[in-house]
Amino acid sequence: MDVLIVNDASEDDTVAVVPGLGVRWLDLSVHLGVGGAVRAGLRYAHESGYEFVVRIDADGQHRPDDIDSLMAPVINGQADAAVGTRHAHGSHPGAKASLKRFFQWLLGAWLGLLTGHRVTDPTSGFWAFGREAIAFLAASHPSGYPEPELMLLLRRERLRVTEVPIQMRERLAGESSLTFPRIGLALACTLVASVVVPLRARRRL
Amino acid sequence: MDVVQALAIAGSTAFLGLILELVRRGALAAKYSLVWLVCGIVLLILSIWRSVLHALAAWLGIHYPPAFLLLVLVGFVSGGSLLFTVALSRHRAQIDRLTEELALLNARLREDRSTTSRADFHR
Repeated sequence: MDVLIVNDASEDDTVAVVPGLGVRWLDLSVHLGVGGAVRAGLRYAHESGYEFVVRIDADGQHRPDDIDSLMAPVINGQADAAVGTRHAHGSHPGAKASLKRFFQWLLGAWLGLLTGHRVTDPTSGFWAFGREAIAFLAASHPSGYPEPELMLLLRRERLRVTEVPIQMRERLAGESSLTFPRIGLALACTLVASVVVPLRARRRL
Repeated sequence: MDVVQALAIAGSTAFLGLILELVRRGALAAKYSLVWLVCGIVLLILSIWRSVLHALAAWLGIHYPPAFLLLVLVGFVSGGSLLFTVALSRHRAQIDRLTEELALLNARLREDRSTTSRADFHR
């Protein structure tokens, strides 16, 4: 397995540390946000001919131990993409009944209504993609806070998405990019996407 | 000519002059100046020939003709803003694309170099 780090114009020591890790990396010279960073990574994978890609957050919340179970449905050909969900069996231990959690639930319910599939963790950033999804998303992975729109987009393209239960750890470093005002913005953008994405022409059939 | 008309003519002329100066300096692309130039010209015409303004206002059922002038201005400003947010979005997409391409290119270059140097080492 090859590891690719996407450095989205970090202002910390990332640039100095990464070359010593013996992994592959991409340096974005302008900060693009999650969507652009993931798109760049997927484009790298697509151009290099990788068959599978796992997208994992850099803050240590996602456990590498879950990669196998996340990839399983994609490798078996049961799905074109798999998303890790921490809410598969209700809430995880650290979950508090917060307003943020309520918004996530609302977002999931809305996406579920639109796609006809259960979405228990709409903002999850732990994904596995197969060849077809990589080829499609290398060009058209959504920007901004892309995860909810990604769900819509993949379903729209008739790619099969499946949920895989995962465990989350406390983040090791940094802070969530989904702060309170942003979750409102993400919700609003998702509402727009949910109107616009179904109206868009399919790029592949 | 009353004060309002003089002010309107002076204002539109100054506005047109400002736009042309910005284009001359290269601070404003000719493409994006068009909205503002047309806006300035229309406002200038309406302030010079008040009869046109009055006729148009009456036709629309606006009793206070200067309000029509404001309507025209608001129309241009909204249209302009919309056009510019469209242009802005396109530029954002282009910047994203370029940044991604640059990162990929850099990575390819770096990887090529390291494989060549490794090959040299083994030779």
